[in-house]
Order: sequence, then C-alpha cells, then structure tokens
Amino acid sequence: MKVLKTGKIEQVLDRLAQQADVYAPMLRGQQSGFFSWRSYDEDYDDLMFDILNVYQPPKDIVLPQTEKMYSIHQDGQDVTIEPIVAEVEPKIIMGVRSCDVRGIDYLDEVFLTKGYVDDAYKARRDKLTIIASACYNPGTNCFCDSMGVSPTDPESADVIMREVTGGYVWDVKTEKGEAVTKQIEDLLEEQEVELFPLKSFLRKVDYSGVAEKLKDMFEDPMWEKYSEPCQTCGICTYLCPTCYCFDIQVKNWGDEGYRFRCWDSCMYREYTQMAGGHNPREAATERFRNRFLHKLQFFPERYGRPLCTGCGRCIVTCPAGVNIIKIIDTVKEAETGA
Amino acid sequence: MNYTKEIREIATRLLENEQVDMVMAWEKGDLEYQTVPFIARTVDEVSRIVCDEYSIHNLSNSLLRFRDGQEKIAIVVKGCDSRGVVRLLEDNQFPRERLYIIGVACPGVKDPLLAMKQNSGFEKVQDQDEGLASKCRYCLQPNPVIYDELVGEEQPLAELQERFARIEEIEQMSADERYQFFEDMISTCIRCYACRQVCVACNCRTCIFDETRPQWVGRETKIGDNMMYHLIRASHMAGRCVECGECERVCPVNIPLMLINRKLIKDVNGFFGPYEAGMEYVEGRKPPLSVYKENDPDDFL
Amino acid sequence: MHDCSCEKPLVPGIVEVIDIIDETPDIKNFYVRSENGVPFDVMPGQLAMVSLLPVGEGMFSVSWQEENDHLEFAIKRTGLMTDELHRIEVGQKLGVRGPYGNGFPVEECKGKDMLFIAGGIGLAPLRSFIKYCFKHREDYGKITILYGSRSSADLCFKDELFEKWPQEKDTEVYVTIDNPEEGWDGHVGFVPAYLEELNPSPEGTIAVICGPPIMIKFALQSLEKMGYSDEQVITTLEMRMKCGIGKCGRCNIGSEYICLDGPVFNLAQLRQLPPEW
Repeated sequence: MKVLKTGKIEQVLDRLAQQADVYAPMLRGQQSGFFSWRSYDEDYDDLMFDILNVYQPPKDIVLPQTEKMYSIHQDGQDVTIEPIVAEVEPKIIMGVRSCDVRGIDYLDEVFLTKGYVDDAYKARRDKLTIIASACYNPGTNCFCDSMGVSPTDPESADVIMREVTGGYVWDVKTEKGEAVTKQIEDLLEEQEVELFPLKSFLRKVDYSGVAEKLKDMFEDPMWEKYSEPCQTCGICTYLCPTCYCFDIQVKNWGDEGYRFRCWDSCMYREYTQMAGGHNPREAATERFRNRFLHKLQFFPERYGRPLCTGCGRCIVTCPAGVNIIKIIDTVKEAETGA
Repeated sequence: MNYTKEIREIATRLLENEQVDMVMAWEKGDLEYQTVPFIARTVDEVSRIVCDEYSIHNLSNSLLRFRDGQEKIAIVVKGCDSRGVVRLLEDNQFPRERLYIIGVACPGVKDPLLAMKQNSGFEKVQDQDEGLASKCRYCLQPNPVIYDELVGEEQPLAELQERFARIEEIEQMSADERYQFFEDMISTCIRCYACRQVCVACNCRTCIFDETRPQWVGRETKIGDNMMYHLIRASHMAGRCVECGECERVCPVNIPLMLINRKLIKDVNGFFGPYEAGMEYVEGRKPPLSVYKENDPDDFL
Repeated sequence: MHDCSCEKPLVPGIVEVIDIIDETPDIKNFYVRSENGVPFDVMPGQLAMVSLLPVGEGMFSVSWQEENDHLEFAIKRTGLMTDELHRIEVGQKLGVRGPYGNGFPVEECKGKDMLFIAGGIGLAPLRSFIKYCFKHREDYGKITILYGSRSSADLCFKDELFEKWPQEKDTEVYVTIDNPEEGWDGHVGFVPAYLEELNPSPEGTIAVICGPPIMIKFALQSLEKMGYSDEQVITTLEMRMKCGIGKCGRCNIGSEYICLDGPVFNLAQLRQLPPEW
C-alpha cells in the first residue's frame, strides 16, 4: 500500500500546488473551511486534516457564491453584452469527506444533466481533482450512511486518503487520481498497514419510504411545529454542501454593468417574492416546508436521490435547534399521510 | 440556573386563568445541552417548558412575529433579554399591555451552539466544559429591567471582562491598519443574515437589505457589498443595540460582531451619554439617535 | 420542454424594440426584433426572459410571434424593472433569452371548441393561443372569447377584441368591465358571473383561463358547476423565476418547475400539486 506520512502533507501540498490551485481544510482565523494552499499563512492558518470536518463545505470551489456572467455596456439606446469567461485553472480539493464528495455529485446532477450543461460549472468540474479523506469515526451529528453515502468509500473521489497510525493510505481511484499521484510519487512510501475499522454511527435515520410518505404530508401539523423556532436566516442553506439555488442579479454604474449569479436561500422571503406583490411562500412555515420537501421529496422525485448527505452541518449550526433528522423521524413514524 | 419548575407553575397559572394566549420560553432539544425556543399555547404543552443553564436564546425577537396580532403573550426574559423587550417597547413595535413579562434573575448561561460545536467533531478543542457563554462575561445586567413577575434571587454583577479593552486597541491602530482589520473581518461574511434575523433591534418590517425598489445593497459576497451590509447595519444599531450578543453567538463564520456594536456603544455613550440602551423603560423615551431636535449640533455638515 | 441547444442559455441575445403600443394606462405591448427577425421560435404560451440591460430581467409570456418578423410582449407595470421598461422608446435594445416552458397544448386541442377566459393582463398569454387558432382556423372548432377588466380603459388589445376577432369565422367575443361607466354600453360585471350567464357547453370544449388569482378561483368554480372536467380546463401559472431552465430553484410547486414543466397545466395536473398555485 502507498502511504503518505502525516509529516509530509505540507510537502505534498507544495508539490501539488505547482500545477494546480490546491484547497485543504483549514482553520483560518475564526473561519473553518477549504482554503487555497497558496494563501496559507502559518501564523494565521491551521491545517485541519485531523478533524471530522470543517464548517464551510467545498461547495464554493465548484459553485462560487458570486460569479459574473456577462458585462453590459449601454450607449444611448444601444447595448452590447460580452460573456465573462473566467480562466479556469486546475484545482484539487484535498481532505474532503464522503458527505461533501456526495454534495458535489448532486451539484453535478443539477448543473450537468437533464438537458442542460452549465458551461462555467463544467469547466471548473472538468479540471477538478478530488482527494477525499475516508471517515472511520463519525461525529455526533453525522448520518451519511443513512442517506446512502459510504463514509469510507466516496464514489466519485479520484484518490481516497485513509487515515492510519502516523499517516494516510493513498488509495488511487481514477485517471485523474493517477495524474496527481505521479507528481508526488516520491513522497509516498510503500508499506503494509492496517486500516481502522469504521466506528458505528451515533445517529441513525431511516429514510426509506420518506419521499413517498411526504406526498401526503404537505398539510401536516409538523411543519408548523418544527418551523416555529426557525429564524429564517440562511445558515442551513449556505453551509449545506448540496443547496444550490441561485439568484441572477445585476450591478451597474451608469451605462456599465455586469450580471452575476449568486447563491440564494429559500429561507429568504425575497426568494419567491413577485414584482406585483404576491408571494406564494410568504410565511416562514411555508419556506421552511419547501426547504425540507425539496431535500426529501421533490429532489428525489426528479433526480432519484435525496438532497441531503447527512453531514450534520445544519444541525450543528442552527441557532434554533432545527434538526432534519427529527423531521425524517417524524415522517417515518407518521401513521399514514395527512 | 434552573427555573424550570417555577416557570412551569407560572405558565400553567397564566394559561389556566386565560391571562395569556401563549408562553414564550424554551424546551430541550435533542441533546442534553440543547435548549431551544418554544411557545406553549396550552396547559398540556407547559410540561415541555424548561428554563435551564442553556436557556441562552433571546426570545424577545420572537415577539415580532406576533406584532400584528391581538394575542396576549407571556415571555420569559433574562436580564439581557429584558433589555430586548425594552427595545421593542421604545420602538413602538409591541404594546406593553399585550405582554406578561416573567423575569428570571440570571447567573449567566452556557451556549448550546458552542457546546454543539465542541461536541460535533468540527472543532479542534473538543468536549471541554465550555463555561459561561462569552456574552455573559460582558453582562451588565443579569437581572431583568422590566417584568411583571420575577423568578430567582437578584444576581450580583459578575466580574466583568474589560468591556472596551479591545475597542481601545483597535482605536489605536492607524487608519490603514484599522481598515485592513475590518476588511479581513468582514470579507469572510457569507451574508446568511443570521445576525439580523436574531437581532431584536432589527425590527424593521422591510429591511433595507431586502428592499428591491431600489436595491440599496448588492448581493455579491465581496468586500464592497459586505462592507455596505455591515456598515449600514452598524449605523442602525447605534444607540439601539442592547448588547445581548446574539448576533455574534449565531454567526456561522465567527465574525466578532460585538466589536462593532461595542464601538458604537462606547461612542454613543461618549457623545450623548451617559447612556446604556434598554436599561429601563420610560414611556415615550427614545434612544439618542432616534430623535431629532432643532438644536442638534450640525457643524459636521 | 425546453430543448437547450443554445450554448449559453443564461446569456441573452440582443433585440431592438421596433414598436411600442400603449394598450392601457399600465400595459404596453413591445414589439422586438433581432437581426434575423425573431430571436427564436416560440410556441403559444411559452415564456421568455426579457432584460432591460442594465436594470433587470423579468420572465414574460410571449403574447405573439409574428413569423419571421418579431415577438410581442404585453407587459404590465408592476415593479422596478417594468417601471423602467415603460419609459423606453422605440429603438431601445433589449436582451431576450428563451423560449422557456411547455406552452399551450395546441396539438391536443385540435378539433375542439375553444373557450378562452381572461381578466386584465391575463389576456396577454392567451392571445398567443387565440391568434394561433385563427391562423390555423380549420384545426379548431367554435371559438369563444370572454374577457374582462376593471374598466374600459384597462382592456388591452381593443382593436383585436372589438374589430378583428369578432370578424373571424365561428367566433364570439364577449367583453365585460367590473363597474358601469359613462359611454360603456357593453356588459358590466365580473368574469365568472358573466361566464355562468353565457353558460357555454362543455361538450367537446377546452377552456383556457388566465387572469388575477381571484378571478381564476371563481371562474374555476363556475366551470366545474357548468360540467367542465378537470382535464378540460387549462391555465398558465406565474411564479418568480430567474433561470428559466429549472435550476435556480425558486419557481417550484411541488417537484414541478413552472419555468420548465409549466407554465401551462390542466386542472387535473394542478390538483396533484401542493396548493401553492
């Protein structure tokens, strides 16, 4: 087995960064997320390969929170537009957990399938290599296995790092994985090591049949009950590795401007606010319900799998204690539909 | 702190006598350290109410959801939360008559979010007893400033952190350094608006950031729009922030928002003070920057 | 279904406004033409995103495509972007992208009698279907148009309504306004009441309806009373939209995206959806 010793991680990052923009889990000041190794500052940043996960998923690497689409020039009544095509350099995300790899899979489905290929997304995705980090020790709020994710074998990873005593087994999965491995071959050691067993999950949910049952639970009182403490902020949507909804807006100064897309949140009232004043999801409960139905019923109906990877971030960070597990449990336990 | 028994008794009495239509308090979440907002509307629901060492969530903001109704509402408030109620009363967002305020003398509380985070595997430091919430270490008023009924013995002021120490350090920076400091701090904002949503002083019906005709602040998460967001919010907080610390507590990217609020508190106090927002409710009294007088100094114009 | 052959479906093409017709005090009909005539072919009931660069973008129903010549958008002033749009003059360049959505089932309706019921700006999307029927007159049976608005000034497409359409073969046009007014000798009253008064037979008929939610609500009740089945009633929905291709998220009702699977649904389909329409 090829093994990467913990002490050589920084060398690997340096090497990979020669040919790609490499993102690694870090604590940067007060923030925890995937940051570019090029911007690493040892006085300020702390590599976090050894913790369960970081708060901000790597979503913005494939779907930037703000992305310019085209510039606009107006001259009297004349107007011209020019698509803004950002130059895409190869990127590597290293140390991604299975839940977040699956998150990228779902973004792929949204932006690359069903008769539509998003050029900008595809360009980034094609040049992305995913070096995942297998998870043997699920956290307090983890339930990825319940959502059909294997914590130790993320399907679309190009390489899987498997933590062992003193380092990581370097498990190459794809051609892209081979390519990055070639660059660091001399930093790996051939060694026989024993893998850790997967510890059992502390949280279990049974999602089977939930999507079907939800069809009859649109008017269920649970929505009122569970949404009551919700503050309708955007934490859950912005920290979710799968929430992909976006807005398209314009910025202009006089006759110049550009149109951009940016993440949006279904928890915001403005999300469905129509120009004439009508809003089909005016109430917090309605927005709350739509968020969970999208994840647990609507997305599965369209794409076949639930839009939740069991990463637990929304549970950990919700100021009001809203818990998707509890919602799934409640649906599961419901006698019949409505 | 554990006033669960007392609060349940009061809630039962108020609901039984039909003195109120609902009681705003807390209930336990899924984990032992989770205590989350809860509204009891029937006597049966009272048994879910708790008031324990994790009852940190400032409920006063939740009153806003009922501001257009007629319901009579009992609300449980700690010292800081009660200042939030004063905020709403001063801002004419809620009539005093519709409220039955159950005050609890607060010895300081713990932060379930912090406990959750330390217990989640997302932090390097794990499973430590996190002690009192950071906002409690700056608490000026552990005892409710307005109430109809008080639970618990009046609490002495805790030994305070130097309230403005960090502010003074930042004031000593050069303008460039200071700008850089705030730019670094604000650039990480993801614009989830959690700070606004939990803030009791953010009680505008249509927030300027949601306004689309015209759109005052762009939706890009880059420094310009982020700065606009935080600067506008800050200027709206001047003289109005009751220092409950909820904004900073809920921020998912840990922006030290109370630095901004404390700077404003310090300045408002310096210019117009002595003044502490929401320390007592006097009908008709307004925060210094919420009134206009003919003889206001205007030499800066 | 939108067949996305365009390379950059979120980037508009440029069109020029070649004519602006004041339909009512707050509705204007904009004729737009690209270099090659129409920027893309549109079926009746389909949508397109119109942008007044650099102000904003809005999704509108195409109210007519004059083949190889221009597209028409009848647009009511309701918000920031439409306010600005109402200030532009002929010659202004706009962005337009599309077409989006399913459109009216023009094929399935062949051989049927058509009953069009519209209120206010709701006539704009139906107009594309009405004019399509006239263009392919032999494919459709009797055509009945019932249209109402608040006042006579608020009636749009008056020329067609009072002059052209009544001249068409086997066609009846009924117009009503909400309140009596001087100089109006036509019908007065709400659309649903007038509909019941006219009592058009459901036999072999498809009803197509669009208007303010309150009108739709009562007209649907009237149609039901008159014996129309859910499959015989078609409407077109409105939601806030941003992308037009079922990706940005917001225009869903249940798992259907209005921009992609809609905006046209029959009542039987709508009853399967959560009641957010």
